[in-house]
Amino acid sequence: MKIDNTGPLEYSTNQNQMNILGFWIFLGAEIMLFGTLFASYFTLENGVGSGPSGAEVFEITPVLLETIILLTSSFTIGLATHAMRINHKKATLVFLGITLLLGLSFLSVEIYEFIHYYHVGLTLQTSAFSAILLTTLGTHGAHVTFGLFWGLFIFLQIKKRGFTPETTNKSFIFSLYWHFLDVVWIFIFSFIYLKGMM
Amino acid sequence: MEFFERFAIPHPSPLIYASMVAIGLTMIAIVVGITYFKKWGYLWREWLTTVDHKRIGMMYIISALLMLFRGGADAVMMRLQTAVPDNTFLDAQHYNEVFTTHGVVMIIFMAMAFIIGMMNFVVPLQIGARDVAFPRLNAISFWLYFAGAMLFNISFVIGGSPDAGWTNYFPLAGTEFSETVGVNYYMWALQISGIGTLMTGINFIVTILKMRAPGMTLMKMPMFTWSALITNVIIVFAFPVLTIALLMGTLDRQFGTHFFASTNGGMDMLWANLFWVWGHPEVYILILPAFGIYSEVISTFSQRNLYGYKSMVGSMVLISFMSFLVWVHHFFTMGHGPLVNGIFSITTMAIAVPTGIKIFNWLLTMWKGKIRFTVPMLYSVGFIPLFTIGGVTGVMLAIASADYQYHNTMFLVAHFHNVIIPGVVFAMLAGLTYWWPKMFGFMLNERIGKWGFWFLTVGFCLAFFPMYITGLDGQARRMYTYSEETGFGPLNMLSFFGAGLMAIAFILIVYNVYYSFRYAPRNVGQDPWNARSLEWATPNPVPHYNFSVTPVVNSSEAFWDSKKNGHQLFKDKIDKIHMPNNSGLPIIIAGLFFVFGFSFVFGIWVGVIAAAIGIFGCMAYRTFEKDHGHYIPVEEIQETEMKLEVRNNENR
Amino acid sequence: MKELFPVKQVMGYIFSLVLTAVALSVYFLDMSFEVGLTILLVTAFIQAALQLVFFMHAGESTDKKAIYTNVYYGIAIALVTVFGTLLTLIWGYM
Repeated sequence: MKIDNTGPLEYSTNQNQMNILGFWIFLGAEIMLFGTLFASYFTLENGVGSGPSGAEVFEITPVLLETIILLTSSFTIGLATHAMRINHKKATLVFLGITLLLGLSFLSVEIYEFIHYYHVGLTLQTSAFSAILLTTLGTHGAHVTFGLFWGLFIFLQIKKRGFTPETTNKSFIFSLYWHFLDVVWIFIFSFIYLKGMM
Repeated sequence: MEFFERFAIPHPSPLIYASMVAIGLTMIAIVVGITYFKKWGYLWREWLTTVDHKRIGMMYIISALLMLFRGGADAVMMRLQTAVPDNTFLDAQHYNEVFTTHGVVMIIFMAMAFIIGMMNFVVPLQIGARDVAFPRLNAISFWLYFAGAMLFNISFVIGGSPDAGWTNYFPLAGTEFSETVGVNYYMWALQISGIGTLMTGINFIVTILKMRAPGMTLMKMPMFTWSALITNVIIVFAFPVLTIALLMGTLDRQFGTHFFASTNGGMDMLWANLFWVWGHPEVYILILPAFGIYSEVISTFSQRNLYGYKSMVGSMVLISFMSFLVWVHHFFTMGHGPLVNGIFSITTMAIAVPTGIKIFNWLLTMWKGKIRFTVPMLYSVGFIPLFTIGGVTGVMLAIASADYQYHNTMFLVAHFHNVIIPGVVFAMLAGLTYWWPKMFGFMLNERIGKWGFWFLTVGFCLAFFPMYITGLDGQARRMYTYSEETGFGPLNMLSFFGAGLMAIAFILIVYNVYYSFRYAPRNVGQDPWNARSLEWATPNPVPHYNFSVTPVVNSSEAFWDSKKNGHQLFKDKIDKIHMPNNSGLPIIIAGLFFVFGFSFVFGIWVGVIAAAIGIFGCMAYRTFEKDHGHYIPVEEIQETEMKLEVRNNENR
Repeated sequence: MKELFPVKQVMGYIFSLVLTAVALSVYFLDMSFEVGLTILLVTAFIQAALQLVFFMHAGESTDKKAIYTNVYYGIAIALVTVFGTLLTLIWGYM
């Protein structure tokens, strides 16, 4: 493999550049995936049947908590990429670790939120609204869960192998993924929660 | 006992038991055969674990041909059932299953596999690359497609096939009206192969954007590569919609949600909506590569460069975007107001314009060309008028108010077969015949091929043109029988006769493969058609690294220029070549997906969880794996090239 | 320590928190549905753009054009799907 040392390490080989471009295109597909979920959500939003509506079950505190946690984790994964570029292995690992911990706490709050929904009588089977709400949140949550494992594996690889064209490439791509999940959350936060509570 | 009852066929018939036995015997025969000839090692090393785009392409095409016969058998059964009024060959339920599987198999597992197979084989060769951007992902795509196809095909012997049409509209597809596991099969087979298709889309966009030979700017790409690029863009943005729709459908059927129910706030129309948001772009995913093949074939056999290259590209880019703007025309009659119907009526008519531009470009390419009527060219020339008829009836259907008359009749069936068969099937047969010597090193017999073409074309006209008439007279589609008083009998008999001719055509095509394999001369050289684009600059058979030296390109017809205008394609000296390693992971992961899908269909949660753990385990293994590929040393390349040189010279 | 916190990223973070606070106003303040929705649309899309440019480095590589085309294409088609679906199933349904 030809290695080009003029730019950041994650772009240094041809394969690396293709990986990054390929992942961007995958994110294009993800935009469409969540776009479809939003289209379905807006369509079924008022289909509450005999169950509760969004305004009745949404609570601002956990939602705000989740938003701030995820925004912060998006910030820290950005810092991890920056630390990686100035070749600071320890800082990279610390920021990556913080990101993963924040992701874990996001998930914990989300699980708490789901339990709350269960207690107020909103489950997957309650109504079309409840189904699309939980499917949309669940798809995002499943992405975060997947990201936690993925991030952990990259953490271990950087720890063990240091910065190589492969590890830096993977962690840069992971940061793209994580930022993207944050963007999706912003839309969930704005157009599912805030719009629902407005 | 109750547990096992789910696996039983809901409506057993001698036909199904016979196929069960046939499937069992074929499987045993294959396993015994491979073991007897001691080919397991060869199969595993050379094919099952391969990441070579050419071999993956061939596996796609072989699978597509198998699926063509599966779907074709369904088609003949349908025509036989409706050949005479009040026929009792199939009962209503069996007929429902047959037309459903016919549609799904033909679209998802035949046509898609065929075009992706063609792209796999041709695109890297056409752009002067040694493989695709992500070779292993490519293998995963193929094996996921294959797992999905197999899952779908076992449905008719284990548990029952889906029976709600290939469009699978709810509430018909819900548990209330489709009680068997059939629709679950539909959900998971499409989901699994859809994931594979999405990955193909990403893979080929990156391949085409990043791996072109030096000098090949975007506007110097051969037209088939352009069509592949646009197709893959549509794949990437359309398939996620299907993913979500299938997920919601699965939840409705297996977890009691109310997305598409008519109670508790659900909306059954949402399924139709999402299905066609994916489904209409899907139509263009199928047809654009076909357009690409026709462009190559027509230009080669008219011995002229393609007329209107830029307008060809422009119209495809336009189609890629517009294909996402027309989906509602599939359900004009389902209760929206005139505003909605008006908007989508207009967008639908507008998308006929770029398609029309392409027709004129092909005609003008042939104008004053020195046309050679080979088999690929015959298919292309046959395509133009037949496809135009399909297109014109499409514009008729686009008129929303008139659609109330056409909707759900045989007129519609005639229309979409009229675009898909001359559009896609003809293109695949043209492309297969055209690139056959590059794939296998000998040519298909022209005489048998021409017989095949004429049988197919005449059979097609006889099978589908009568449906326009019966459709306008009110014969509904998807009805397993009709009474004698309707008067549909004679025309349906004619359709059956046409279907028979088409079946003979496919038998001729297979016979042609056998005949040519035995008798065709092997001295075809690297360029038997006097072709124009880069894939013909490779020796026959194509070595696994494709090009010993990266070609340098100056136009969209670089190979033609090297033959006629003294352009030098290969300037560098031979250097060591980096190639990806084979891997067993793709087939293993696809096998796990098969187990996952099968278990999910029947709600065997232990199997689902075990397979899911296996899949994630494979992914974890992959991320820790160190795989840098391997280099082919210069001596080995020189040796291979020498052998090919000797072989090609002997042949000439 | 300081080199680990580049100004651009810190500013981006602060800005995203500010945008979140602005978006929250639709919950805490009393306003009409239209005004609220407009605020949400503006803040959400600015947030997304912020992530894209500041954090995701969308414009740094030689594939900049392909990446931006891809993202814009995705957003355009996602919007077509969302609004087309709403038009078909809600607003234009008789």
